[in-house]
Amino acid sequence: MTHFPARRTVLGAASALTLLALTACGNVAGGPADSSKFPAGPVNLTVGQAAGGSTDLIARALAEGASKTLGKPIPVVNKPGANGALATKEVAGKPADGQELVLLTASLITITPLAVSADEAVNIDDLDILAGLSQDDYVLVASPGSGFKSFKDVTGAGRNVTFGTTGVGTGSQLAQKVLFKQANVTGTDVPFDSGKPALTAALGNQVELTTIQLGEAMPQITAGKVAPLLVFSEDRNTFLPDTPTAKEAGYDVPVAQYRAVAAPKGTPQDVKDKLLASFQDTFKTDTYKEFNKKNMLTPKEISGEEVVKEWKGYAAKYKELVEKYDISLSGTK
Amino acid sequence: MDFLNPVINGFVVVLEPTNLLYCLIGVVIGMLIGVLPGLGPAATIAILLPLTYNVEPVTAIIMLAGIFYGAQYGGTITSVLLRLPGEASSVVTVFDGYQMAKQGKAGTALGLAAIGSFIGGTAAIIGLTFLAPIVASFALDFGPPEYTALALLGILLVATISNGSKAKALIAAALGLLLATVGRDIFTGASRFTFGNLQLADGIDFVPIAMGLFGLGEILYNLEERHRAAKAPSKVTNVWPSRNDLKQASGAIGRGSVLGFFLGILPGGGATIASMASYAMEKKRAKQPERFGKGAPEGVAGPETANNAAATSSFIPLLTLGIPANATMALMFGALLIQGVTPGPQLVEQNPELFWGVVNSMYIGNILLLIMSLPLVGIFVKILRVRAAILAPVTALITLLGAYTINNSMFDVTLVVVFGIVGYLMKKFGFEPGPLVLAFVLGELLESSMRRSLLVFGGDPTGFFGRPISATLLVVFVLVAVLPVIRGAAAKRKASTPAVTAASEIKEKV
Repeated sequence: MTHFPARRTVLGAASALTLLALTACGNVAGGPADSSKFPAGPVNLTVGQAAGGSTDLIARALAEGASKTLGKPIPVVNKPGANGALATKEVAGKPADGQELVLLTASLITITPLAVSADEAVNIDDLDILAGLSQDDYVLVASPGSGFKSFKDVTGAGRNVTFGTTGVGTGSQLAQKVLFKQANVTGTDVPFDSGKPALTAALGNQVELTTIQLGEAMPQITAGKVAPLLVFSEDRNTFLPDTPTAKEAGYDVPVAQYRAVAAPKGTPQDVKDKLLASFQDTFKTDTYKEFNKKNMLTPKEISGEEVVKEWKGYAAKYKELVEKYDISLSGTK
Repeated sequence: MDFLNPVINGFVVVLEPTNLLYCLIGVVIGMLIGVLPGLGPAATIAILLPLTYNVEPVTAIIMLAGIFYGAQYGGTITSVLLRLPGEASSVVTVFDGYQMAKQGKAGTALGLAAIGSFIGGTAAIIGLTFLAPIVASFALDFGPPEYTALALLGILLVATISNGSKAKALIAAALGLLLATVGRDIFTGASRFTFGNLQLADGIDFVPIAMGLFGLGEILYNLEERHRAAKAPSKVTNVWPSRNDLKQASGAIGRGSVLGFFLGILPGGGATIASMASYAMEKKRAKQPERFGKGAPEGVAGPETANNAAATSSFIPLLTLGIPANATMALMFGALLIQGVTPGPQLVEQNPELFWGVVNSMYIGNILLLIMSLPLVGIFVKILRVRAAILAPVTALITLLGAYTINNSMFDVTLVVVFGIVGYLMKKFGFEPGPLVLAFVLGELLESSMRRSLLVFGGDPTGFFGRPISATLLVVFVLVAVLPVIRGAAAKRKASTPAVTAASEIKEKV
């Protein structure tokens, strides 16, 4: 009985020493990528959006948790530009050693290619997707002056409506264009730079409708300033249980923003496993769960393969919808 | 007195030790660069912008604002003591300030300037405190049509009120508008002037342009000037002006406060114009105008009050409408955007701590300046002895380092270098970079707001006149654009009769 704790101490000390030796090695080995020594220093997580936005916040929450398991810092590097295409293309061209990661948004893969030329678009096959993160739902809200309380009011209005979008090639634009086409509503598309100005325009009755991400709309919805008409997710959103989905209303517009972490193509499997393990540890923490809840994000922690399959599916679906209804995301057709 | 609550909370924000410290740092830097001729507040803010990236937005803006109004104080010191205006806004102070110093009244001149600056600044802050909530109450009425009208008016005023050649200001503004079109069109997704470069897809970032034109351009331009050895400054004694001096100057201080306040609000106006207008007004009003240029206390007190009042009041259009009134405010605009804060009518309501924190920091900053400016005169004068050969490379390095850190992008560094060269050439050929930068900022706003408005109006441009605020602004726009033409024509007609006779006289003589 007496040497039980002693043995434990020895064991602990020994493992601590090995760990120390390992990390020390890791620090020294700065040379060519040797996957067994991963991570050999800080792992950069590049974000294609400015600091402070929802994508950036997700990256920071993930980095904070994962760095604990990984034992190395994960600094978040913001490289805004071209909806995230700039950052994604840059990381895709980095060495595939797991030291450089990118936070990927689904719209960049599934919707942006419908609005920009082929060489500006990002191909998901240029990356190894490590894990899916969460789903960020879009909600259609009506301005106080429009008088719309449900989507029936919009279809029954029998006139041209103005709607704000968060920009060309975004889910907000696609969702509304497809929805209005399916519902035979004629509308004028008014693009804004992001969700905030679009919401402000709706609050000030400059546009009658707008579709933005739930986290941005929620404070004004709960304050009763704008009326939520529809959510575009396939199931009702848990944060907004009383608002019907577009599907329930009889429309086929499954649009949401998804996010995932990706690494350059050809990253060794054992490196990917280590990274995945660190993400999965993070997903389990209360801090991360709390973060998702606070930002109205629905966890969608699926595997990389599933992400690729789903996103490709959505890309095909959107392309089909756009062609079927003869919608152009650029211009005002 | 409900509306005073956020004002009081603003003081709580300012009195946090970090914010106080940054306020102090800001005003000290401001005073330093105010002393240094060449390096103005716009350049300094451009250079130091990236340093504010990692601090809280309130703290960042408090510091940058401190630099701005601190520079107005600093500029005075060299004007009075060395006949070397550190800032454009202190040029007119030289006329009487240096004469006073020669008469052994340097202390009085500096004292008057400091007191005037304090009163002018404080008056403008009080104006800001009461005006901002009124503008903010219209916040939600400001939609795309209103912004279109505001941006139009802003660009017009910038191009017409700027000091220097109007044609050159218009050319610079046109260039700024052109640069604003670069990037992916936000309405169609089509690429404009990007030459297939994804780095340009979002357009040219405002910060590298400002850092290049103001920061690097200024540094390069200053290198050309041979550094004058600083003369031994006049002795400063007895900084408290006598009762008689104060009595003479009090009218000038009062008028300067009001004049500066209104000229600061005007887009295109600002500290420089305010100081010049005040000097002209004091001279016109004086019973013995011949005293001016020979050490008249009003000639120092008036302009110094006006430039500080204008420096402060130029925050009003920025913080309440999101329209920068001058180049320095355009930089503040950039600083706020970096921090993720979009200045505009919603700012007071959505971000009261930031708004009132910044506004109230100006009270504290002005007090700090008043306390520091007089005892530290000797130290500031010594700074003039730092050689350009040391100062220039250090500032250039800080600029380029800073440019990299904003987006971690080497492309931005290249942009800074390119715009640095452009800025240098512009200065060399007598173009002010101010109108370019302002038109660049307002150009984006103008284009997107106008296209958005037209979409909402269904393509009918008369819609702009169907909304009270945009209609009023457009009427003002037309007045500002047409008035000089009418006045010019009227003056011509009046002048034409004597001109004809004069011409015939000449003919007779021939």
